[in-house]
Amino acid sequence: MTRSVIVVGAGLTGLYASILAARRGAQVLLVAQGRGGLALSHGCIDVWHDGDVRFSFRNLDPAHPLAGLGMAVFQAALTEFLDIVQEAGLPYAGGLDRPMRLPRALGTIRTTAAAPVTLAAGSLDDKTPIHMADLRGFRDFSANLAAGRLRTQGVPIGGVVELPLAEVGARDAYAHELAGAFDDPGYRAEVCSTWKPLLRGVRRLGLPAVLGTSDPTQVVADLEAGLGVDIFEIPTLPPSLPGLRLERALRHRASSIGVDVVEGPSVRGEIDGRSAGRRVSGVVAATAGGPRAFRADTVLLATGGPAHAGWMSFANGEVQDSVFGLPVDAPDDREAWTSPDPFESQPYARFGLRLDSRRHPCDRRGRPYFENLFAAGGLLAGADRTLEGSRQVIDLATAFAAVEAMLR
Amino acid sequence: MRTATPTSIAPTDGRPLPANRIVTTLSSDLLVIGAGATGLGVAWDATLRGLSVTVVEQGDLGQGTSGRYHGLLHSGARYVVSDPASAADCARENEVVRRLVPHAVEPTGGYFLSTDDDPPDYVDRWLAGCRGAGVAVEELDPAQVMRQEPLVTPRLARAFAVSDAALDSFELLHALARGVRASRGSVLLRHRVTGLVPHGGGMLARIVSLRDEVALQLAAPWVVNAAGPFVGVVAAMAGVHLPLALGKGTMVAMTSRLTQTVLNRCKPPHDGDIIVPVGTVCVLGTTDVPVRAPTDLTIEPWEIDLLIREGQALIPTLRRHRPLRAWAGVRALYRPADDRAPTRDLPRAHVLIDHAPEGLPGFLTILGGKLTTFRRMAQDIVDRVSERPCTTAITPLPAEERRFYRLGESLRRPPPTQSRPERLVCECEGVTASQVEAALAESGSDDLDDLRRDLRLGMGPCQGAFCTYRAAAAVAATLPDVPLDGGLSAFFRERWRGIRPLAWGRGLRQADILRRIQIEALGADPVDEVVR
Repeated sequence: MTRSVIVVGAGLTGLYASILAARRGAQVLLVAQGRGGLALSHGCIDVWHDGDVRFSFRNLDPAHPLAGLGMAVFQAALTEFLDIVQEAGLPYAGGLDRPMRLPRALGTIRTTAAAPVTLAAGSLDDKTPIHMADLRGFRDFSANLAAGRLRTQGVPIGGVVELPLAEVGARDAYAHELAGAFDDPGYRAEVCSTWKPLLRGVRRLGLPAVLGTSDPTQVVADLEAGLGVDIFEIPTLPPSLPGLRLERALRHRASSIGVDVVEGPSVRGEIDGRSAGRRVSGVVAATAGGPRAFRADTVLLATGGPAHAGWMSFANGEVQDSVFGLPVDAPDDREAWTSPDPFESQPYARFGLRLDSRRHPCDRRGRPYFENLFAAGGLLAGADRTLEGSRQVIDLATAFAAVEAMLR
Repeated sequence: MRTATPTSIAPTDGRPLPANRIVTTLSSDLLVIGAGATGLGVAWDATLRGLSVTVVEQGDLGQGTSGRYHGLLHSGARYVVSDPASAADCARENEVVRRLVPHAVEPTGGYFLSTDDDPPDYVDRWLAGCRGAGVAVEELDPAQVMRQEPLVTPRLARAFAVSDAALDSFELLHALARGVRASRGSVLLRHRVTGLVPHGGGMLARIVSLRDEVALQLAAPWVVNAAGPFVGVVAAMAGVHLPLALGKGTMVAMTSRLTQTVLNRCKPPHDGDIIVPVGTVCVLGTTDVPVRAPTDLTIEPWEIDLLIREGQALIPTLRRHRPLRAWAGVRALYRPADDRAPTRDLPRAHVLIDHAPEGLPGFLTILGGKLTTFRRMAQDIVDRVSERPCTTAITPLPAEERRFYRLGESLRRPPPTQSRPERLVCECEGVTASQVEAALAESGSDDLDDLRRDLRLGMGPCQGAFCTYRAAAAVAATLPDVPLDGGLSAFFRERWRGIRPLAWGRGLRQADILRRIQIEALGADPVDEVVR
């Protein structure tokens, strides 16, 4: 019998879970309130800030969203993700056992498990000297900041090269606009002829991640051929192309394997009136034609964390999930939600839903709210993902575990 | 205990000065401690009367209480019942300030609104007070106010127009500093007075640069202590104890300009009784909390809740709008030992203390007062120092040559001449790349918080999520010896302080987006001391 699944949320967790469920034969409807959170993403799959996956995961707090999942789940989730993006035409490089060190826009170093190949080409294990490209008129990447800090960490830096951008002139260039220009082979050829004389002595060139909206691999291949240098991309300010490309690739992949997508300005959960409050029946989405109810055997909440309003908070200290209104534990005193130093752990970042062993949102005593409601990703309590560098591994592993539990 | 010789002065921060620092001794006719509106007003007045003046300020222009207020140029109507003398002062100075710094004043006008919940008998006392203090007031039909300001509560009993306005104190302070410098006075920013002793009929001050710790001495026959909340600290250096009450006022800026006119509750002065439109936002003011130290600027959640709750009496839909940022300022009021009144009820008129009877001839302390009356206070002080007539009421301050619009001021002034399209660094506040370059060249400061005060960079709805990296890039490209991240981490930390009190609902979402962009996307890390 075909199981029907509603996934709420179109960020990394929701898109990935939808594809997993569809691959396993479920009939999937993805319902989203606006676009998902991938425009904020650097596009890499981070597992832990220091890359030491095994040690870190063995020592997890029991309240952490990854606690109890185990290396096998992380491995399986990442492997299937790499398959999916390969099929979607956005190949990634990496794996849990081979953490990569990649440059970031401020010249600090990201340790990550997997990255789009155009970013992975910037691996700092390659000791070829790097030249940083300063694209004139593009303000969201500073070659100076990136190169200066990397140099102090012993990364071989060849220098900063100033490169002109055709069509930009005095006005501001935005990342997605530049990426659109690079989609055009004619623009790429023009860039090659302008830049080539400026790149004498350059062997390896770091550029902001603006090289195409959907197929950066081809853009980079063409530029490398035309310029005769190795090229890699560095993610920069949102809207971030590596995140947008991943969103586009996963959405396309989801549609092509039969996932239906509905977007509306609001999504509210519905409880099954015949189940004595034990089951949910689906969701009601506001659509252009008015409110529409969608029903399914199971519902997966993948609505995201604080930045994406998976939970909402109020001046009176109440916090609740934004689809079913499930209560989220938070101190009454709002002052205790944040701490003074943003580089220190933030209590609010750990707010969210807690799960029972079968991946159902549950109350403090471990009793599930509904027997057919599941949750995954940024909405889950227990982790300051920003400090841990654990955002994507939580999204993938908890989505994987939820889909397995839903279809069991 | 006062020390007798300057060489034995100990710095107040507890760190002894390196003995090998070269100590230069300078002299001025007048030393002013504190570059708030009062201190700069004194300095400007004195330079116009031909005195040589040095101003010493431990922070940046606008970093103290003058930059931490709600943006109101008082009509005086707020004080007509509680403090008629102050009200009369305000009414007179309101006119003067508009003439002195027209570019810093937005003539919004103000309303005093008595709602159905306010004591009706207060209105009559208030009207009598306005007449007595010479504060111009005109009664309006409440329906007219509601047409003008559609978000204002319909539960209006009576409404009055007064001549309140929005005054940009950053602009005012910059104009005053330009005025002082134009008359060859000097303004030393990020310098701190660390010792103060009598010297040859005047005073000798030891001054340390907070940037490079170089020390200098300055001898002056006159010293004016205009250090705002720090007046007690400065006086203590000279061995004088001042009985002070320190009061903290908290303000909240809402993301949009919900009113075009200053809105006041027509009732006895109380927490949260005013909303001031300033630029693209509107500011709810204020609370009044006794604090122990001039640096105690911590904002508590109940203060925010109170300001929004009280503001809803004027704009009922206020809770639906997003609070953008909160800040607090500390003021010092003079309180003789036997007086236990709450600070709000202490007289707002300024107090001038001459320390000559304590054996310190030439040493004056000024405290209290309001930004609106800064010029009048300065005149009182400089009258003690100079026989020449005061000319500040009739001398316009040198206006900045304005090359760009600021959001919210468009169409009121002649267009700035501009030859080419400009690149934006901060979309929220419309700050351009060449403004950032010019500000960096002028100040030489790598502190992005100084750029914020100069340009409003990072003060808009995104609170620096996007512009900080761009500004840091400009700092790194322009200035030598800056932190390797161009000051980004330090600025991010500073912004976080202002965001924390508002971290719920959409404010918390925005805070998390800010943190994710700085740390996850760009790779900011807590080590901000690394200098290139």
